[in-house]
Amino acid sequence: MNSIFQIPSFIIIFIFSFIIISQCQIETDWAKKDHTNNWAVLVDTSRFWFNYRHIANVLSIYRSVKRLGIPDSQIILMIADDMPCNPRNPRPATVFNNANQHINVYGDDVEVDYRGYEVTVENFVRLLTGRLPPGTPRSKQLLTDEGSNILIYLTGHGGDGFLKFQDSEEIGSQEMADALEQMWQKQRYNEIFFMLDTCQAASMYERFYSPNILAVGSSLVGEDSLSHHVDPAIGVYIIDRYTYYALAFLESVDADSKRNMAEFLKVCPKRDCISTVGVRKDLFKRNPKDVPITDFFGSVRPVEVIEDVVIEPISFISKNISVEETPKIKKYRYVPPLVNFDQFIQ
Amino acid sequence: MHYAFILLLFTFIEICISEEDVFTEELLIKPLNADNVYTHFHFTTKWNVPDSGFSSHSRIFPRILGEIIERYNVQELHIGLTNGLWRYEKWGYPVVSASPGGEIWTWFKPDTKDVDKNWKELTNSLSGLLCASFNFIDSTNTISPEFSFRPQGIIDNSEKVNSSYLKYSSLPREIVCTENLTPWKKLLPCNAKTGLGSLLNSGYIHNTRYHSLGLHLRRICTDKYCSHTGLELQQTISLVYDSKTLGTRNWSLIKFFGQGILNSCDLAESSTIYIDNKMNSSNPFRLTLKPDEVITSIRGGTVSEFAKYNVGKTIFSVGVDYLTQKEVTINQLPVLYAHQYLSGYGKENGGLVLKITNNHWSELDVVVLQNIPWYLQLYLHTLKITVGDKMLKPIKLKFKPGKLRTRYHHLEILLRIPAKSVATVSLNFDYTFLKWQEYPPDANHGFYIGSAIISCYLPLARDFVGLPQDGSMIRDSFNASRSGYLVQIRTETLIVTLPTPDFSMPYNVICLACTVVALAFGPLHNITTKRFILKVKDDRTLLDKIKAKLGINLKKKED
Repeated sequence: MNSIFQIPSFIIIFIFSFIIISQCQIETDWAKKDHTNNWAVLVDTSRFWFNYRHIANVLSIYRSVKRLGIPDSQIILMIADDMPCNPRNPRPATVFNNANQHINVYGDDVEVDYRGYEVTVENFVRLLTGRLPPGTPRSKQLLTDEGSNILIYLTGHGGDGFLKFQDSEEIGSQEMADALEQMWQKQRYNEIFFMLDTCQAASMYERFYSPNILAVGSSLVGEDSLSHHVDPAIGVYIIDRYTYYALAFLESVDADSKRNMAEFLKVCPKRDCISTVGVRKDLFKRNPKDVPITDFFGSVRPVEVIEDVVIEPISFISKNISVEETPKIKKYRYVPPLVNFDQFIQ
Repeated sequence: MHYAFILLLFTFIEICISEEDVFTEELLIKPLNADNVYTHFHFTTKWNVPDSGFSSHSRIFPRILGEIIERYNVQELHIGLTNGLWRYEKWGYPVVSASPGGEIWTWFKPDTKDVDKNWKELTNSLSGLLCASFNFIDSTNTISPEFSFRPQGIIDNSEKVNSSYLKYSSLPREIVCTENLTPWKKLLPCNAKTGLGSLLNSGYIHNTRYHSLGLHLRRICTDKYCSHTGLELQQTISLVYDSKTLGTRNWSLIKFFGQGILNSCDLAESSTIYIDNKMNSSNPFRLTLKPDEVITSIRGGTVSEFAKYNVGKTIFSVGVDYLTQKEVTINQLPVLYAHQYLSGYGKENGGLVLKITNNHWSELDVVVLQNIPWYLQLYLHTLKITVGDKMLKPIKLKFKPGKLRTRYHHLEILLRIPAKSVATVSLNFDYTFLKWQEYPPDANHGFYIGSAIISCYLPLARDFVGLPQDGSMIRDSFNASRSGYLVQIRTETLIVTLPTPDFSMPYNVICLACTVVALAFGPLHNITTKRFILKVKDDRTLLDKIKAKLGINLKKKED
C-alpha cells in the first residue's frame, strides 16, 4: 500500500522537476539572444549596363532589410555602377526587379555608401576588417561589435574560388575567409549570415574557418547561377533567380514574423533556381530552425531603462549667459565679387 | 515639479532662440523659351550665430553641417551636384551656375593650420553626408584659383583675401541620382515632407533635361553695420523641364512634380512661388490661379514681372495654359557665353579650344579658369588667344603647371574681350600613358576634363536672375540694381580617350609567351647542358651479350 503511493509521488516530483528545468530552459533561451544590434553589408560588384540585374539584386535585399527595420546608418550599400540614373534607363531614378514593374527597389529614400569606382576589393576588405583611413565618414564604416549580427550579401560574377569586382580585379575565397577570421579576432561580430548570388557561389565559402558563420550560395561549384527574366522595356535581364525567390520569400516576412532561417535556406529549390543552392552550417552553432529570420534581416533595438537621473540645467543657462556677456567687437565686410582688372593694367 | 521646470526651461530657450534662425522657402518658375521651363527651388536658412560658437543650440539649421564646418574650420562652402549642361545661349543665366558632375569649393578660415589635411577630411565627411564621391578629391586634383573666386560672404575687415585658403575641385564624372537627393532633403527642416520640399520626388526630378543640387554656405552680416554675423545656408535645386518629355506645353506643379503642395512647412517663415511673366509677350499664357501679388522688378535696366503666390495651409497647385499655338521666337542671345571643345588628332596630339562670345556693345573683362588633369601634358607655348585674326594679349596669365600624379594644371587668364567679338583660347597637349593600375575599370569610356569657368562682372542684368551678394533669397533679387552682376559660366566637360591597352592582351601574351618558352626551353636546355659522347657501335644480339656475360662469369668460376 505504502509502496503504491510512493511511485506516483516520485512521478509527480519527476514531472515537477522537469517542468522547472524546462522553464529554466525557456528563460535561458531568452537570455541567449545575445546579439545586440544588426548590420548589413550589401555589395554589388559588377559594373556596366548589362549587369543591371546585379544592382536589382542588391537593391532588393536592401529594400527588404530596410523594411524589416535595419536603419540606413547600419546598412553599408556598395554599388559599382549607376543604373537608376543611367542614360539607358527608360525610367530615370528607378530600378525594377520585375517586368511588371511592381516594386521600385531603388525607392525614393536610398543612401548608397560606396559607389562607382569606390567599390574595390581593398575597400571591401578594409570595411569588413575596420582598417579604414583616418577621416572616413561614419556612413562608410562598419561599426560593429561583439554583439553584432551581420548580413553580408554579395552579388556579381564569380568563378571557382573568386568573385570579380568591376571586371578588373577579384577577391579570392581564401582572402574572404581571412577577412572574416580577422573580424572574428577583432570581435567585430557575433554571427554572420553570408549570402552570395554568383556563379559557383559555394566555392567562396568553402574556405571559411571562423566560427558563427552561416553561409548560403546560389550555386554549387561547377554550376552557373542564372538570371530570372528580361524586361523588354529595359532590354536586359533584370534579376537573378536566387535573389528573385529570396525576395519573394522576404516580402512575406514582417518585423514580428516567426519564420526561421531553416525556411529561408530552403528557398529556391532546384526546379526554380536550376542551380543548386548551397548551404554551409558546420560553423554555425545554432540550429537554423531556432533562428528567427529577423535575427539577420531585422533589427534589434535594445532599450535600456535608466533610473535615478539627475538633470542639472542651471549650469547650462549660466554658461550661455557668460558667453553672451562678452561679445567681441569686430568689423566685417563683403569682398568685391571679382578681381579688379585695373590693378594689373599699367 | 522637476518636469514642469524643465518644460518651462525649454519653452524659455525656444522663445530666446526662435528668432535666431529663420527658414524661408521659395520657388522660381521661369519659362525659358517655347519648350523649356526652369524651376528653381531656393531654401534659405539664416542663423544668427557668432563666429566662434557653433556649439550653441540651433533650431532649424542642420546640426550635422554646423559640426562639419566647425571641425574643419570652414569659412565658406559651396557644393554643386549636377546632371546635364546649362545651355547659356538658349536659356540665359541660372540663379546658381554649376558645372556638370560634382563641384566643390571651400574657403577655410585664415587661422587654419593645415589646409590640405582639413580639405581632405572635409571632402571625406561630405562624401559621407551627401553619398557623393567627394572622397576622391585630394591634393592631386585640387587647385586654388587666385582670380576666379572671391569669398561670397563676409570676411574679417582686417584681413585680405588669400587664395591659399581656397580649395576648388570638380568631379566631372560624378553621377547625380536619388541617393544624393535623399540626404540633401534631410537637411531641410521639414525634411521634404511638407511645404515646397514635398514637391521634390526623385522620379520627377531626374526626368528633366538639367538638374542641379546646390548647397551654399557662407557668413553674412546680420545688422546694418556688419558688426554681428550669422551663417547662411542656401539649398538650391534647379531643374529644366522639357515640354517634349512632359507631353504638353501647358504645365502645372502637378505635371512637373506629380503632386501639388499638400501642406505648408510650419517651420518656414514664408513659402512663396514666383512665376516669371516675361515669356507672356511672345507666347501668351494664362495663369490658372490668380496671383496674390504681381511684382514688377527693375534691375540693371531690365524690367521683369513676377506673379507671386503665398503657399498656405490649403492644397495648392498653379500652372499655365498657353493661349496660342507655339510661336518660335528668335532667341535673344545673352551678353556672354562660352563653349569648349577638343581639337587635335590621333592618340598622341590633343588640343583644347575655348570660345568666349561677347555680345555686349562694349568690351568685357573676363577671368578664364581651366582645371586640367595631370594625365594631359600641356604646352604653354602653344597657348593662343585670338579675336578674329588678331592676337589678344591677356591682361594677366597665371599658370601653375601640373605634375604627373601629384597636381592638376591650373591656368587662369584675365582677358579684356572687345565688343561684339569671339575670343578663342587654344592650347595643345599630349596624352600620357598611365600605369596599368591607374586605369579605371571602364577605361575605354574615356577620361574627363572638367569644365572651364568664365567669370565676369556684367554691367547689365539682361537674362540675369542671380542673387545680389547681400541678398539671400530670390525676393532680394527684385529691384536689386547694383554696379555689376557676377556670372560664372561653366562650359561643357570633355572626354578624352587616353591610349588604353587591351587588358586581355597581356593575358594572351603571357599565355603565348609561356607556351613558347616551355616548348623552347626543353630542347634548348638539353642542347646546352648535355654533352654528346661518341659510343662504339655494338652489333651483338641480346643473346650474345648474355652469353658473353655468362661466359665471363663461367670463366671466372672455372678459374
